[in-house]
Amino acid sequence: MKNLITKTRSSRQLLALLLVATLAMYGCRVTFVPEYDSALAADIEETARQVDRFYLMMLETTSAEDNGRAFEVFAPEYVDIEVMLNSLLNQNKIKPLNQNSTRIAEITLELWQKYKEEHRTDNTLSDGLIKLNRKTFSDLFYAMQVAEKGKELATNPPK
Amino acid sequence: MKLDINKVINDMLAGIKGTVADSWDEVKAATEQFMQRRKERLLLIAELRITGELTEEKFKSRLNDEKLLLEAELNALAVITKAIAQRAANTAIDILEQAVKTAISIG
Repeated sequence: MKNLITKTRSSRQLLALLLVATLAMYGCRVTFVPEYDSALAADIEETARQVDRFYLMMLETTSAEDNGRAFEVFAPEYVDIEVMLNSLLNQNKIKPLNQNSTRIAEITLELWQKYKEEHRTDNTLSDGLIKLNRKTFSDLFYAMQVAEKGKELATNPPK
Repeated sequence: MKLDINKVINDMLAGIKGTVADSWDEVKAATEQFMQRRKERLLLIAELRITGELTEEKFKSRLNDEKLLLEAELNALAVITKAIAQRAANTAIDILEQAVKTAISIG
């Protein structure tokens, strides 16, 4: 009888050890989002600043009169910012479990290209449209920042 | 070895509940910001249509773009909720792991 009790106890211990070993083997952790990336967060901030500056400068230093807002005047800056947006998209794309942030970057790039083409077609941009575009991108970058910052919650509780 | 599974489950649930409660304000703050920003954008779009700066075609196009902005905002909220779920799940796993370890050492 004593032998049987010892045996049962040992097998339970073995089972528990196996459970712990299994948990340990698989890292004992679930992962739904990638780690917060401070370098990427800084890039988002920098791109947001560039876009804000682009539209503010257009609004404050140019006028729709006398072809002052012709597309070609702004073409180089459109390219510079598109390069930054492409970079943000690629940085997001290469991370596993990052489809949500990737989609936000895709939408931002898609709208940037769309509004750029509108400017090219109309060859001008009214004050109101500049304000609307500026606001739209500010809100998209905010969503991008919320998503990146949100990843911190996976490991750090809010303060 | 003694493992009180009911206590462990209750502890795990308490851990999950605490984690979600701690982070709820983050979800709420982001949602409120998104709503406020949406309101301001829609107001501006309406103003530009009234003043004629947006043609009917472009007005409709901008309203369509709003769907993309909503998608972006929902994706941002999805990241927050996934992150909270991750921390809650790992908190529960830690509690289970600790309970099993303690039971082994007592046993």
